[in-house]
Order: sequence, then C-alpha cells, then structure tokens
Amino acid sequence: MDEERAWVEQALQGDQAAFGHLVGAYERPVYNLTYRMLGNAAEAEDAAQETFLRAYSKLATYQPERKFVNWLLSIASHHCIDRLRRRGRAPQLSLDGPLPPMWTVSEAPRPDEVASKNEQREKVRQVLDTLPSEYRAAVILRYWHGMSYKEIAQTMKTTVSAIKSRLHRARRMMARQMQAA
Amino acid sequence: MEPLAECAQSERMTAMMSLALDGLLDSGDRKQLEQHMKTCATCRAEWQAMAQVAALFESSPAVGPPLGFAVRVERRLAEKSKKKRQTFGGVAVLTSSLSLVGATVAALLVIALGIAAWRWFDSSPSIQQGTQTLSQVASGMGLVGKGASLFLGDLLLRYGAPLVVVLGVGLAVLLGVWAWLIVKRPGGTHHNGFAQ
Repeated sequence: MDEERAWVEQALQGDQAAFGHLVGAYERPVYNLTYRMLGNAAEAEDAAQETFLRAYSKLATYQPERKFVNWLLSIASHHCIDRLRRRGRAPQLSLDGPLPPMWTVSEAPRPDEVASKNEQREKVRQVLDTLPSEYRAAVILRYWHGMSYKEIAQTMKTTVSAIKSRLHRARRMMARQMQAA
Repeated sequence: MEPLAECAQSERMTAMMSLALDGLLDSGDRKQLEQHMKTCATCRAEWQAMAQVAALFESSPAVGPPLGFAVRVERRLAEKSKKKRQTFGGVAVLTSSLSLVGATVAALLVIALGIAAWRWFDSSPSIQQGTQTLSQVASGMGLVGKGASLFLGDLLLRYGAPLVVVLGVGLAVLLGVWAWLIVKRPGGTHHNGFAQ
C-alpha cells in the first residue's frame, strides 16, 4: 500500500516509470473488466490502455482514501459504458480474433482443457451480452472483483439501492436467458 | 418443454433470490422464500437458473491482458506526452511571437503619435509667428492646447475606440494564454492530497 502511494506520488511529479509500476500491478483487473464488458480481446486491450492513459492525466483528482484499483475500475467501467453506448448495439465477439491468453507457456493446458475453457468463456460472454451496459458493469464488479454493493455504487457513481436493483434485474434477465437456452 | 406459468410474486421473490446469492438475505425472508419455492415451480426454476449463472461466473477466472501490455501503455503514454509537448511548444512560440509583435506595434504607434504631434506643433503658424509678446505666447499656448485636444479627440473618435478595444482584447487573450502556458507546462507539478 505504501509502495502504491509512493508510485502515485512519483507519477504525479511526472515520473512515467512509477506509473508503469501501477500499470503492472493493476493491468489484470482493468483488462478483465474491459474484456468482460466489451466481449472481444482487441477492443478490451484498447479500452484498458485508454483507461490507464486517462488515469495518468487525471491522477491529480485521485483521492488517496479510495482504493487505487477501485478508482481505476471506475474509469474503466465508465469508459466501457460510453463505448457500448456509442456502439449502440450489443457487443459482437469477433470469432476470428484471438482470445486473450489465460496461461503462461510453462503451464500450457491440454487442448481439451483449452476447448472447454473457451466454451465456458463464450457462454459467459453470451450471458453478459443480454444485459444493458450499466447492469453488466455491476455484475462484473460483483462477481469478478468481489466488490460490496457500496463499493460498486461508489465505482459507478450511483446509490446502493440502484445497485441492488440493477443486480436483481440483471440476474433475472440472465436467468431467463439461461432458461431459454 | 411446457412453459411455466407466471408467478404473481415473481418480482419480490427474485429480489430475495438476488440478495440470497450475495449472502444478504435475512433469516425471516429466507424462510419465506423457501416456503414459496416449495409450492411455486416457476420461482424454483428461476432460482435454479440464477444459481447456475452464479456458478458459471464463479468458475470463470479473471482474464489477464496479452504479454507486453504495460510496455504498450508506456509507449502510448510517451507518444501522448510528446504530442502534448509539441502542441505546448507551438502555442508558446505563437504566443511569444504575438506578444513581440504586439509590443512592437504598440511602440511604433506611440512613436508615430509622438512624431505626428510634434510635426503638427512645429508647423502651427500661431506658434511660429506669435513670439512677440507675452499675450501672443499665451494665446499661442492656448491655441496649441486647443489644437492638441482637437487632434487627439478626432484621432480617438475615428480610430481610438476600436483600437483600444482591439488592443484590450488582444492583451486579455495573450494574458490568458500565458497563464494557461504557465499552469499547463509539461512537467509542471500537479496538486492533490498527495503532493506535499
């Protein structure tokens, strides 16, 4: 935590290497959010990069009492919601595009494991795809980032009751999609 | 498969299910939900589907970016900083040039006005010839004063107001740009709760 604070302070003085440490520390949660939100690897990478660029330029507005990762996820979720609104339609997975890697070379999985994981990931994408962008962000922050209702509300700049309602409606929609499938 | 009948309490029950999945349903509501599901196949099916979705998500690990992500971010950041510096440098050069031109024009204007006033004063017949007596001197000085006030008044009436407005606006714009340049200079210190 102290190390993170030091990196933030140094980055505020224009030290890009210090900011590089922050990118290394939080690239995974940020990318996971953008990937789950947007549904394809290329766009997720671009959105995650854009999140860090925005974070760097807005670093002076970061409040140290907040978790840095939650601040980043807030930028990422709003950016993805904007992108989805601009798209004006549900995200399409580019089936020709590469899926992001899940393993390092040293722990390369068997082909059947890869197929099963890819199938699972596709299923997750299809389920998330049925949700409006604000609902999707709430679900991702709840399931993959383990945030409480209060943290999700802070991250998405809304109220706890709005999050409670979004999660309820999202789960209902996803359950119906699952039943229909 | 036969579609299940709609449940009149579906909205309230699914809200409870959502809380139950997050471990936030109190024991009273939990009992009520369980009782309801014993008799309602629609809500039972809905609960199973919700639990299935939850299980799917919980078994899906977080996805990390492709290798080299941090390097790519660093590269984009460097490109952005370079572009910012170039823009900043361009604005600084332009502002400096405009300031220099403005200062030169202002200086030339003052000199031109000085010369015009001096020539007009020098060629005035009442001043050239009226040096015999004190009264003529006084009269001459009065004429000069009157002439100067007429000259300046006419000049101001014709060109003065727009000139003053243009110069004023130009000065305000230049001051604004200079202030912006000082605040936004690359490498300038940000201030927030951290910077002490």
